[in-house]
Amino acid sequence: MAAKKAYESFSKSLIEDVHKWGCMKQTGVSLRYMMEFGSDPSDRNLLLSGQFLHKELPIRIARRAIELGTLPYGLSEKPAVLKVRDWYIDSFRDMRNFPEIKDINDEKEFTQMIKAIKVRHNNVVPTMALGVQQLKKGMDPKIVYEDLDEIHQFLDRFYMSRIGIRMLIGQHVELHKPNPPPYVVGYIHTKMSPVEVAQNASESARAICLREYGSAPEIVIYGDPSFTFPYVPTHLQLMVFELVKNSLRAVQERFMDSDKVAPPVRIVVAEGIEDVTIKISDEGGGIPRKGLPKIFTYLYSTAKNPLDEYQDLGTDDRITMAGFGYGIPISRLYAQYFGGDLQVISMEGYGTDAYLHLSRLGDSKEPLP
Amino acid sequence: MAAKKATESFSKSLIEEVHKWGCMKQTGVSLRYMMEFGSKPTRRNLLISGQFLHKELPIRIARRAIELESLPYGLSEKPAVLKVRDWYLDSFRDLRSFPDIKDTNDEKEFTKMIKAIKVRHNNVVPMMALGVQQLKKGMDPKIVYKDLDEIHQFLDRFYMSRIGIRMLIGQHVELHNPNPPPHCVGYIHTKMSPLEVAQNASEDARAICLREYGSAPEINIYGDPKFTFPYVPTHLHLMVFELVKNSLRAVQERYMDSDRVAPPIRIIVTEGIEDVTIKVSDEGGGIPRSGLPKIFTYLYSTAKNPLDEYSDLGTSDTVATMAGYGYGLPISRLYARYFGGDLQMISMEGYGTDAYLHLSRLGDSQEPLP
Repeated sequence: MAAKKAYESFSKSLIEDVHKWGCMKQTGVSLRYMMEFGSDPSDRNLLLSGQFLHKELPIRIARRAIELGTLPYGLSEKPAVLKVRDWYIDSFRDMRNFPEIKDINDEKEFTQMIKAIKVRHNNVVPTMALGVQQLKKGMDPKIVYEDLDEIHQFLDRFYMSRIGIRMLIGQHVELHKPNPPPYVVGYIHTKMSPVEVAQNASESARAICLREYGSAPEIVIYGDPSFTFPYVPTHLQLMVFELVKNSLRAVQERFMDSDKVAPPVRIVVAEGIEDVTIKISDEGGGIPRKGLPKIFTYLYSTAKNPLDEYQDLGTDDRITMAGFGYGIPISRLYAQYFGGDLQVISMEGYGTDAYLHLSRLGDSKEPLP
Repeated sequence: MAAKKATESFSKSLIEEVHKWGCMKQTGVSLRYMMEFGSKPTRRNLLISGQFLHKELPIRIARRAIELESLPYGLSEKPAVLKVRDWYLDSFRDLRSFPDIKDTNDEKEFTKMIKAIKVRHNNVVPMMALGVQQLKKGMDPKIVYKDLDEIHQFLDRFYMSRIGIRMLIGQHVELHNPNPPPHCVGYIHTKMSPLEVAQNASEDARAICLREYGSAPEINIYGDPKFTFPYVPTHLHLMVFELVKNSLRAVQERYMDSDRVAPPIRIIVTEGIEDVTIKVSDEGGGIPRSGLPKIFTYLYSTAKNPLDEYSDLGTSDTVATMAGYGYGLPISRLYARYFGGDLQMISMEGYGTDAYLHLSRLGDSQEPLP
């Protein structure tokens, strides 16, 4: 059982180190920089990258470890949150104990270590969600979402930071791969086709809908399949998957017991000079304007929470049509991570349009909350 | 020529009164209240309404008159702005000089007077736009829109207040109409069909496009023609007209020299329990995300300014053109917000733009009182 206070299981000097590093300035990089740097994964460059991460990752990890200890409403004391905090402090310790990276062998060892750190943190999102559930259960039901704005803002910062840490680690690890696929630089595909990614994500979402409901609405995708730009396909896949999943569910539930044919979900992929936009439109009945802010919170879901059923989260992902209500807020963070955004507009009684804005130029620096 | 300082042409005591009334608390009403009150335009109710306006209008007018004197960057001294300020001061004086409304005859006289006030202020928007143009001309071109945020915020408050004042006056005057059309309570149509208004506004916008370009894209409208709810048709007409006009222009300019057929503008009218939404979608090429904030400012237009051609604005309505001094969108958004709604624009660079007009179906929102 995780100890309530960090100093009960970690040494005093470690905690002091966490506080010292948590106040140091973070350094962000842009997608374009990652792409240009990673296009030449020489020994020298991997060494430079390793040394950069050796200084940068502890700063980012320490910052979050401190915040995890000071959350309002007693969230910091929930068992699930204590578990996450321990992961962060363990990872910080691993990084700080690693000696200076002087040559390519050190760098290889370092890469193994950060790879293991990434695996350690694989289930942070569902574990934090469990912590929030534990908080909700113990709370006065009269407390409304607005009062928990502090927690929402913390989670936004926390998860955004996590996206950045995992991008940096993953990118560095990937660059060690000896035979990368063509046009790929780590996690970045320099010629990613958004239409293709949207098609794949749509098929996956549709498969889940079929599995859960026995049928699924059609999905129609408009756009130039030969248009490509540099981006991280897994990020885009995640975002489109979430949005299409939500649209399919809304349409399915609306037309399930109806004679009428379910109208298709429509996706438009548009390319501009500065922006790439992906619009996902459904006629699933929409939600009233006043209900819209709730869909971006971490405490709201119109579906049953699947976490309650799983005592042991293990390491595999369980994908369901609806879950703990994190799909939309986290998709927005992914969009914002590389300078984009996610906007959702709804027309009550008709349907919802989601706009994924991506930056075509890749010049934005990582947000560093 | 309007005097630079109000004290030069208006008495000291009047200016003091303006400052006193400008600090008093404003009272707002909701569309639902206006509708219920106005459904029984008895003499007694008209008297109560008149007495309410006699106290409320000077407060709102004085508030704006004070603001007009204290604008940044020297906007207050521009000739066009001084003219508008004088209109506000004259109207304040007319209201304050009017004696207590004691009976129906007083009330009838009062109604005539506020009707004349409304006419006096007919051209406030183009006149203020001219003042802003005068300011832009004299300014360092290096100053960007963001620096003029104070002016944008002032204009939002100023025009929102004007919408309210004209709604209150217009509503009161209309209630004297002996033969109102069926289902109408003043400016409010209790069974307004948004689909019908959208169709009319679209035809008007299309006619202008035809006149200016010689051709116009098609417009498809989807929605239930039988659906109605209480709203002010002229407001909705103005908003849909502006949005469709912009969409038509974008599509026309994109496809004018092309072999391909221009894709139609699509309008969807939807009804919910709380909200009524009207979406106007075009494939006119869109604008980059970085350019979106500018379309809601009062100083931006991608088209030539027609005002420069008109030295005498007179009292007739300004000629409607396809593009003008860039006021259509920000003012449409104010109209939407006036009764608790909103206007959102999302653009997809390289493809097109979607505009969402959100209206409140219930009509419970109080007027915004900036």
